[in-house]
Amino acid sequence: MGQAISTELAAFCHSGVSILVGTRDRRLFAECVRAVGARVERGRRELSVFVPLATGAVTAANLADNQRIAVCFTRIEDHRSIQFKGRAVAVALASEDDRAVIERHRGEWTRNLAVIGMPPRLSLRQCSWPSHAIRVRVESVFVQTPGPGAGAPLPPPATAGRRGAS
Amino acid sequence: MIATNGAPPPLESLRHCFQGVVPALIATCSRDGEPNVTYLSQVHYVDARHVALSCQFFNKTRRNVEENPYATVVFNDPVTYEAWHLKLRFLRAETSGPLFDTMALRIQVIASHTGMAGVFRLISSDIYEVLELAPIPGFLLPPDPLLDLAPSAQVAGGPMTEIRGLQVVSERISRAKDLDDLLNSTLLALDELLGFSHSMVLLQDECTKRLVTIASRGYGSGGIGAEVAEGDGSIGTVAASRRMVRITGVSCQLRYGRAVRGRVEEAGGAAGLAPEIPLPGLCDAQAQLSLPLLAGERLVGVLAVESRDPLHFDEWDEAFLQIIANQIALGIDRMQAADDDGGPVATARAAPKAGAAARSRSFVYYKNDDCIFVDGEYLVRNVPGRIFWKLLTRRVKDGQVEFTNRELRLDPTLGLPPLKDNLETRLILLRKRLQEKCADVRLVPVRRGRFALELDGPVELSERESA
Repeated sequence: MGQAISTELAAFCHSGVSILVGTRDRRLFAECVRAVGARVERGRRELSVFVPLATGAVTAANLADNQRIAVCFTRIEDHRSIQFKGRAVAVALASEDDRAVIERHRGEWTRNLAVIGMPPRLSLRQCSWPSHAIRVRVESVFVQTPGPGAGAPLPPPATAGRRGAS
Repeated sequence: MIATNGAPPPLESLRHCFQGVVPALIATCSRDGEPNVTYLSQVHYVDARHVALSCQFFNKTRRNVEENPYATVVFNDPVTYEAWHLKLRFLRAETSGPLFDTMALRIQVIASHTGMAGVFRLISSDIYEVLELAPIPGFLLPPDPLLDLAPSAQVAGGPMTEIRGLQVVSERISRAKDLDDLLNSTLLALDELLGFSHSMVLLQDECTKRLVTIASRGYGSGGIGAEVAEGDGSIGTVAASRRMVRITGVSCQLRYGRAVRGRVEEAGGAAGLAPEIPLPGLCDAQAQLSLPLLAGERLVGVLAVESRDPLHFDEWDEAFLQIIANQIALGIDRMQAADDDGGPVATARAAPKAGAAARSRSFVYYKNDDCIFVDGEYLVRNVPGRIFWKLLTRRVKDGQVEFTNRELRLDPTLGLPPLKDNLETRLILLRKRLQEKCADVRLVPVRRGRFALELDGPVELSERESA
């Protein structure tokens, strides 16, 4: 069934935060890559993350092998971090609809980086297209903000799942 | 042997990536096959085949590498944003030694600034072997021929410029006629010849165990007299540990520290936290390098430089400024030992300002904290406050104009320590505060160990128990 994502958490994931994707190969060697956008899917038990083809070959190969995935969302101005663990249920080429999500994320991410001193001239050079669209079924959610309690499970929302989020 | 794809540069050439300006990311995997990905707070270059990662909490990353030692780190060059991929194998966790001390000191500075001294600290320096280093070629789009032109090569000064700069600084220190001259001319040379445009020297007050800013460059006139408690911030941490510390990406480090503070508060630990300490110096400093001034085993003070450029200081600056700091420390020690020998006239005595309006000044001395206000504005406190009050009362009651260092040293009411009393330092501080707050009252050197209190107008003195 998996864990539901609260409305507040979905809004956080859509707010131009940093998105990191972790996978592993069959020998348990981990791989990490920066994603360029994400969308919490209807029903709020799955999310799609977008990883550029240019940097995501190992990630896609790992997911084809074993589906295990971790996705970490971090707001850079205060380090608030949430990590989702789950299974990749589909990996496909991102569509034009997905591209709109990626472009919106790119704009917000660039603005957020500029606030902490990263010039858009640099951040806008990050490759974001074409991308893999990785559909993740969320199994558990953890608080990852640095400090005591980092890694603690985030309790499921009391009212989640009544309406879908987009 | 590090495996390489093609011909990537050696690890040591990626020194910008180790500055922590763009946080690195790490992926690990548990024994049962669950991946984990997160940001790192510090990646430290150890040698051509090893890096150290800071461990402040026994988190999932640490648990994973104890079960399965392989990890992948991605870090970015903060200048070009190019990305690099490191495959690592966890070897061991160090909890003491020079590497641990260096990494711990940086965290201690951030902990102190964010009010978490003793709460947020380094648990271990985790040493990893670098198995593979490779660029991530597709991470950035191809450069735009116009927008992404390589920046023009800076005109490098070359080693001779640096050696000549060092020569000038050394000469100024050895020829300085007094402590004030030594510090001001050295900071001026550091700025004009070597590009350290924001610098300050703080000397330790043996009585209060606090550091007092006695000379500064690049901060305007308001910073003289600013105090730092031992253990507070980068300067206080350097004084307490007697070790140099360099912090790069200051705002990034502070954001991390504040995030930890927030979690500590949420976990009910707010009572153990202190208020956040404001950064002395530039409010928007991005890089700080602070060095202890040591004469033998004695801490004389701290030399601190800072910059708005997060990459301004590197290992070269550490080594170069260490030489300068040693020279300054020995110069200060020499001045402090020699300030009472009755030598030749140090400075021509300034004549009272002709025709200047004879402005009346009202001084109030608060006995409870030895604090003096002039015309309702704070002037000075502690030992310099007691010294100045003695000078003023003698001048007003007895008409005494000239004073000697010796008579001040023999006055037990001033509370000067019997050895290494820093009297000259306190007089410099007093002189500068007077210049800043009421230039018509001056301390003018007559000859070494003797000075005059000059007044352009009448003064009114009053004492109060407390404010």
